[in-house]
Amino acid sequence: MSQLFPAKQVLGFVFSLLLTTVALTVYFLDMSFTAGMTILLVTAFIQAGLQLVVFMHAGETKDKGAIYTNVFYGLIIALVTVFGTLLAMIWDM
Amino acid sequence: MKIDNSLPLEYSTEENSLKILGFWIFLGAEIMLFATLFATYFTLENRTGSGPTGAEIFQITPVLFETILLLTSSFTVGLGIHAMRIGKQKAMITFFSITLLLGLAFLGVEIFEFVTYVHEGAGIQTSAFTAALLTTLGTHGVHVTLGFFWGLFIILQIKKRGLTPQTTNKAFIFSLYWHFLDVVWIFIFSFIYLKGMM
Amino acid sequence: MDFFDRFAVPHPSIAIYASMAAIGLTIIAVIAGLTYFKKWGYLWREWLTTVDHKRIGIMYLLSALLMLFRGGVDAIMMRAQLAVPDNTLLDAQHYNEIFTTHGIVMILFMAMPFIMFFMNFVVPLQIGARDVAFPRLNALSFWLFFMGAMLFNISFVVGGSPDAGWTSYFPLAGNEFSESVGTNYYMIAIQIAGIGTLMTGINFITTILKMRAPGMTLMKMPMFTWSALIANVIIVFAFPVLAVLLAMGTLDRQFGTHFFTMDNGGMDMLWANIFWVWGHPEVYILILPAFGIYSEIISTFARRNLYGYKSMVGSMVIISLLSFLVWAHHFFTMGQGALTNSIFSITTMAIAVPTGVKIFNWLLTLRKGKIVFTTPMLYSMHFIPLFTLGGVTGVMLAMSAADYQYHNTMFLVAHFHNVIIPGVVYAMLAGLHYYWPKMFGFMLNEKIGKRTVWLLSIGFILAFMPMYASGLDGQARRMYTYSEAAGFGLMNMISFVGAAIMAIGFVLIVYNIYFSTRYESRDISNDPWDARTLEWSTHTPVPEYNFAILPDVESNEALWDAKKNGHVLFKGDYEKIHMPNNSGIPFIMSCIFFVWGFSFIFSLWIPVIVTTLGIFGCMALRSFEQDHGRYISVKEIEETETNLRGA
Repeated sequence: MSQLFPAKQVLGFVFSLLLTTVALTVYFLDMSFTAGMTILLVTAFIQAGLQLVVFMHAGETKDKGAIYTNVFYGLIIALVTVFGTLLAMIWDM
Repeated sequence: MKIDNSLPLEYSTEENSLKILGFWIFLGAEIMLFATLFATYFTLENRTGSGPTGAEIFQITPVLFETILLLTSSFTVGLGIHAMRIGKQKAMITFFSITLLLGLAFLGVEIFEFVTYVHEGAGIQTSAFTAALLTTLGTHGVHVTLGFFWGLFIILQIKKRGLTPQTTNKAFIFSLYWHFLDVVWIFIFSFIYLKGMM
Repeated sequence: MDFFDRFAVPHPSIAIYASMAAIGLTIIAVIAGLTYFKKWGYLWREWLTTVDHKRIGIMYLLSALLMLFRGGVDAIMMRAQLAVPDNTLLDAQHYNEIFTTHGIVMILFMAMPFIMFFMNFVVPLQIGARDVAFPRLNALSFWLFFMGAMLFNISFVVGGSPDAGWTSYFPLAGNEFSESVGTNYYMIAIQIAGIGTLMTGINFITTILKMRAPGMTLMKMPMFTWSALIANVIIVFAFPVLAVLLAMGTLDRQFGTHFFTMDNGGMDMLWANIFWVWGHPEVYILILPAFGIYSEIISTFARRNLYGYKSMVGSMVIISLLSFLVWAHHFFTMGQGALTNSIFSITTMAIAVPTGVKIFNWLLTLRKGKIVFTTPMLYSMHFIPLFTLGGVTGVMLAMSAADYQYHNTMFLVAHFHNVIIPGVVYAMLAGLHYYWPKMFGFMLNEKIGKRTVWLLSIGFILAFMPMYASGLDGQARRMYTYSEAAGFGLMNMISFVGAAIMAIGFVLIVYNIYFSTRYESRDISNDPWDARTLEWSTHTPVPEYNFAILPDVESNEALWDAKKNGHVLFKGDYEKIHMPNNSGIPFIMSCIFFVWGFSFIFSLWIPVIVTTLGIFGCMALRSFEQDHGRYISVKEIEETETNLRGA
C-alpha cells in the first residue's frame, strides 16, 4: 500500500495545501492591498512551479530543455500581455 | 515499432515521446489562452455598470470547496500515474476514477455558484465585469468537463486493453492536462476570488 | 419565407448576382467533371484522405492561389473606385465590404496558406524526415483552414460580407452598427481557420525539434527550417489570443454580453488592444518564413554559404520576442498616455535592428558571390531595396508623436503594402518558382518569370508610392470616394494604373504555369538549381517516404558538402519504413465544422448542437481507434528507387 503513496508526491500535496492556507490569510486577516497582492503572487507562482516539477514531471526526459523553454517563453509573453494591457487600458489612460 | 525499455512505458516509442512534447507545446498555447482571459478580466474588473461588484457576489465557502476538490484531484491523478509506472493497473484505475469524481464534484459546486450569481443579478449579460468573470470561469469549467470525458475514455481503454505503450501514453498526457487545469485554478482562486474579496 | 430571408444579401447588386451564378456553375462543373471522368475515388483516396505532407502542402498552395485571385479582384475594384474623384462604380457599403474582405483574404487565406504550403512541403524534406510529427493532425489543420476560408468566402452571396474592416473594431463591429451577419462570418470563419493554424504550429515545432536527420543539431538546420521553427513558436503563442478575442466578439454579438459595447461597463478599446496582441505577431509569422525563403534562394544563387548564420538565427529569436512587445503602436492615437506610447515606440524601433542585421547579411552573402540571375533570385534582388524602403517608413510610423499625422491615412496603407508585397508576396512567388520543379518535375519558364518580376515591381512602385504622398496630404484610408477639390485625383489615378500593371503580372504567372505545363522539358535532374540543402538530394518526384535512407548531416549545407567535399549522405542499407495510414476523419470532421460554423453564424441552434455532438463524436472515435500505421517493405523501396533512378 505504501508504495502507492510516494513521499515526494504526498509532501507536494501537503505543501500545496499549506500554500493555499497562506494565500487565504489575505481574506481572513486585515492587510494592505500591496501586502495581500505580494502574498498572492508568491503563493500562486510557487504552487504553479510545484505542480510543474513534482506532478507534471517536466524535467524527467532529454526534452526538458524544450519543455522549460516553452513554459517560460509562454509565461514571459503572458505576463507582458497582461501587464501591457493593463498599462495601455487602465494605468496610463 | 521500436520499444525502448529504459524509459517508462508512456515514453517507450518514438511516437509516444513526440506526443508528450507536442502536448507540452499545446499547454504553452493554453497559457496564452488563459493569459488573454486574465488580461480581459483585470481590465474589466471594475467596470461593473449597474451590476454588482466582485466583493458583493463572491463567497468564500464554495470557492474553498472548489479549490480543495481540484487540488486533491490533481494529487490523485499524480498517484494514478505513479501506480501506472509501477504496473499496478487496478490502483491506477481507482486513482483515476477518484480524480474524475472529484472533478465532477468541482463542476457541481461551480454550477451551484453560477446559479447563485444569476439569482443575485449577475448574469453573463449584466455588465462587462460579469461577462469577463463568467467567461474566464466558464472556459476553465469547459476544460474540466472535456477532461472528465477524456479521462473516462482512457479508463475504458485501459480496462479493455491493459497498460500498453498507447494507453499509458494517453493517460500520462491526460494527467498533464489535469495538472495544468489545477494550475489555472490556482490563478483564478488567487487573482479573481481572493483579490476580489480582499 | 421568414426563415429564408436571413440568407439574403442585404445590399445586392449585379456583381453579387453574377458571383452567385458563377459559384453555382463552378460547383456544378466540378461535380459533373469528377463524375464524368470517374475521379471521385481518386479524389477521395489520393487527396481528401491523404496525410502526406507533400500533398497537403500542394493543397495549401492551390487554396492560396485561389484566394490570391479573390483578394486581387477586391484590390483592383478598390483602386478602380478611387481612380477618379466622386466615382460611383461602388457605393459606400460595397466599398466597405471589399476592403474588409481584401484584408482578411490576403492575410489569413492567402499569405497564411502560402507559408503553410512552404512549411509543409519543404520542412520535412529539409530536415531529412519522412513526414511531420502528427500527420493526421496536419490533415485536420489543412481541412479546418480550408473550411474556414470557404465559409468566409460564401459570405458575400449568403447573408452579406463583413464590412467593419479586417481589424473589425468595436463598436463599429457591434450589433448596433453592423446589423447583418457579415461580422458573424468574420468571427466564426476565422475561428475555425485559426484552430487549424494553431495545430499546425504545435505540429511543426514538434517535428523540427524531434525529427531531424542524424547529425543535424539545431545550429546545423537550414535557414528556412529555422525561420519556420520561429514562426511556429509565434503561432503557438499568438493564435490562442485570437481565439479568445473572436469568442468574446461572438459573445457580444450573439449572446448580448458587454465586453466591447458602449454601455454597462464595456470597453471598445479592449478589442483593438487584444486584436493587436495577436495582430502584430501575425505580421512576423508571415515575414519570418519569407526571410527564410530569401536566405535559401540568395545563398543558392550567390553560389556561396549564407553570411552570418548565427546572427541570422539570433536576430530571428530576438524578433520573435520583440514581436509580442510592440502591439500598442497600432493605436498610438487612442488616448493612452505618453509613457505607454514611448515604451511601445522604443520597442518598435528596436525591431528594426535585428531586421537590419538580416538585410546586411544578405548583402554580404552577395558580396564575392557568383550571382546567377534566375527568376527566384531576381525576386530576391527586387525584395531587398523595396522592402528596406517599407522598413524605413515603418520606423517613421514608429515615432508616436509623428504618428498622429500618419495614423489611418494612405501613408500607413502604403507602408504595410510596401513591406508585405516585396517582403511576403515576392518571397512566396520566388519560392514557388524555386520549388516548382521539386513538386511537379518541370521548371517554370524563366523568360516569362523574369518579365513578371519586372512588371510586378513597376506596378508596385506606381501603385503604392503615390499613396505615401496622398497620405501625407491627408487622404484617409477606407474612404470610398473623395471630392475633386481634395486634389487626390492624380495620385489615385497613378495608383490605379500601377494596380492594373500588377494585375497583368499576376495573370502572367497563371499563364506561365499553363505554358510551362505544356512546353517545359520533363527531363530535369533532382537538383536543377545546383542547391545546397537536403530537399534537393532526394528524387523528383519525391517518393512517398521522402528518403529511402535517412541522410547523415554534418553542416547546414549537407547536399553542398556531398557534392563538393565528398561527404556521404546516405549510408547503410534499406530498412522497412513505417508510414501512417490515410484517414477520412480529418476531412469529415472539418465538413461538420463547416456546417457548425454556418449554423452558428445564422444562430440556428439546433444544427449547432447536433454538429457540436458530431465534432466530439469524431474525437471520441479517434480516441478509441487503434491505428498503428503500415510498413513499406524493402522490396517495394528497391522497386521505387530503381524506377526513379531510371527515369
